[in-house]
Amino acid sequence: MTSLVDFLTDSVLRGPTIGSMLMCIATALVGVILLIRKETLLGEALSHAAYPGIVGSALFASLIFKTPGADEGMSVILGAFLSASLGLFLISFLQKKVSLHSDAALCMILSLFFGVGVLLASRLQVTHAVWYKQISLYLYGQAATLVDRDMAIYAVLVLITALCVFFLYRFVQWIYFDRAFAKSVGASVRKVEFLVHFLLILSIVIGMRSVGVVLLSGMLIAPAVAARRWTSRLSMLFFLAALIGGGSAFLGNYLSVNLPLLFHRESLALPTGPMIVLVGAAISLFSLFFSLESGLIFRAYRMRAFKNRCLLENVLKRLWKEGEKREFSFSEIVHFNQLSSLSGSLLFFKMRCQGWLQRKGKGRYRLSSDGWRRASRTVRLHRLWEVYLVDYLGQHADRVHRSAEEIEHLLSYELERELTRLLKDPKKDPHKQPIPNDHESLLG
Amino acid sequence: MNPYWGKDFFEFFSLLFLRLVRAMKGDLAFCDLASDEVQLLVLAGVGISTSLIGNLLILKRMTMLANALSHTILLGLVSAYLFLFPLMGASEEGIGMDLNLLMAAAFFTSLFTVLSTEFLKRVAKVQEDASIGLVFTTLFALGITAVTLFARNLHLEADAVMGNVDALHLHDLKLVGFVALLNAVVMLLFFKEWKITAFDSRLAASLGFCPLLFDLLLLFQTALTLVGAFRAVGVFLVLALLVFPPLAARRLTHNLGRLFFLSPLLGAAASVLAVALSRHLLSVYHLALSTAGLLVFILGCLYLLLLLPSLTFRKKKGIIL
Repeated sequence: MTSLVDFLTDSVLRGPTIGSMLMCIATALVGVILLIRKETLLGEALSHAAYPGIVGSALFASLIFKTPGADEGMSVILGAFLSASLGLFLISFLQKKVSLHSDAALCMILSLFFGVGVLLASRLQVTHAVWYKQISLYLYGQAATLVDRDMAIYAVLVLITALCVFFLYRFVQWIYFDRAFAKSVGASVRKVEFLVHFLLILSIVIGMRSVGVVLLSGMLIAPAVAARRWTSRLSMLFFLAALIGGGSAFLGNYLSVNLPLLFHRESLALPTGPMIVLVGAAISLFSLFFSLESGLIFRAYRMRAFKNRCLLENVLKRLWKEGEKREFSFSEIVHFNQLSSLSGSLLFFKMRCQGWLQRKGKGRYRLSSDGWRRASRTVRLHRLWEVYLVDYLGQHADRVHRSAEEIEHLLSYELERELTRLLKDPKKDPHKQPIPNDHESLLG
Repeated sequence: MNPYWGKDFFEFFSLLFLRLVRAMKGDLAFCDLASDEVQLLVLAGVGISTSLIGNLLILKRMTMLANALSHTILLGLVSAYLFLFPLMGASEEGIGMDLNLLMAAAFFTSLFTVLSTEFLKRVAKVQEDASIGLVFTTLFALGITAVTLFARNLHLEADAVMGNVDALHLHDLKLVGFVALLNAVVMLLFFKEWKITAFDSRLAASLGFCPLLFDLLLLFQTALTLVGAFRAVGVFLVLALLVFPPLAARRLTHNLGRLFFLSPLLGAAASVLAVALSRHLLSVYHLALSTAGLLVFILGCLYLLLLLPSLTFRKKKGIIL
């Protein structure tokens, strides 16, 4: 087993690890903008469109050098940049001049460019097998051959990306969240769009070495989707996405080195690129389920809790209607509300814990003053809402009960106060029932 | 011995014609097909089946979903193999040879993709483009990982993702022919339903056709077509075959019936041209190029050719029909 720190310090391991971390940070930053613009599939198309550029530059370089040298990385980056730019130009051309739908245009350019890439690669495979091997690394990503020198190059590129994002930050905020304001201060949407697309292509050429052109869009999307689940602030979104991107790159490298050692199975030596994407996907899946604000688990929990509260308030309401002095046995409570014995005992237990039921003798209970107040507030909200519907919205008194039955669980104290003021503190509801008002103290 | 060895572009066609005449007379048995002819037939079959499907995908704006399917195929194939292996015993030839395997792979592929995309979209409320992107990259990464793990008994390396026209065999022809026939039959049989679901899905729903059912059928067929084409042109280039012939045909006509007729024609013609051109380049210039790559290139040129008139004359409708 190689320890975590070794991945950042060891002279063999630090190149690939830090290198792919830098790359994934760049793609994650740009991915956030793409996610906001709903343009993530453009990232997919353009990353494939970079492939012929990679092969083409290798083909060109192979005419000059016999074997790939140290500078091969730069020429590949340049080639990929050019061909992805061409792809972008063609996509917008097809959309605007030929009025193709973006879906078809993206798919067209993606497949055409990839096909040309394959065509060129088949030529390179015959003439310069060494070069062919080298560029195959860009298909599924292979960071293992990165050295310190590459790290420096990529660090500079990532720095440029980060600076651009920093510069773009305010414009992104204006344009995508408040278009009218952006226009009024004279922000040029076209210029920002141009810069965003430049950034996208830049991040693609940076990231392709770590996860490869085929999987690159995964690293554009996954960190942004994951980060979106934890925050709604744009600045925090960028920060978290970068963190998640870098983290998945690190873990991906760590796992791909350590898994075979851990299980003593050579066959577990999995390629780094897919591993990074899998880690990123796992993080976003985790976020989808467990994030505090919008995670599935907590959302389900909150829905459940709300349902339970409604049920509880309905039970209290039912008991309230029997009168203040009335005592109940457990079976009566269950019977009144037509509960199953299981949910009945659960509710009973909850009401006891909250102190809403008071014990009066053996097996006899009655509403405590707290429980009484809670129940009468629910009834009050119900009846106030009925008055409001009839007096202000002109509904017929027969048809307001159902709506009130739902809203009584939702109205806050502020709304209750407003309703009371608006309706001039009514004493009777449309059905001539009194509106209770014995929780004045809570209103304050 | 391949009779097409050393022939150039025109000699290729004259020889093809001669052999066709001989075959009609009954002098040439089916198993005597030269490898060039197998390639030609397989690619033409792929071209026909993809362009039929492609028309609908473009109309329904589902081509990027097809792109997602093309990525998830790898996982579909692996899982089909793993599921079928204990069920039906070993199919020793490996992946992509067996009709059952083909169907199962298509089934798993469309199932994985659709279920997980819908889950992300509906339950987890991720925006649509991001959920598609997230799903297929993840499943592709899983597929690659699985292939690396099981590659030894799958005869399926990461290289196979690119397809290999030169390794095609007679039984590939059988599979591709089956897929093309199935697609053609389904398209003809449900032509009216496709038309109505593609253009006005609400009307279709109110008339009692279930648009969802047809969407699912289309997805399954797309997956089947992709799996069928995968050994010939690989999982990525097949996308070009899906979108280019229909879009090129749309430069000529906007009538759905004629599209269904014209686009397979264009697809098949481009395939024949690709095989002939690849032979020509090899014989005359000693350039060994990937036939699939060449096919995509030809399709691109074809589209450009048909696009030029409408760009110069600013005509929105099809030029001929």
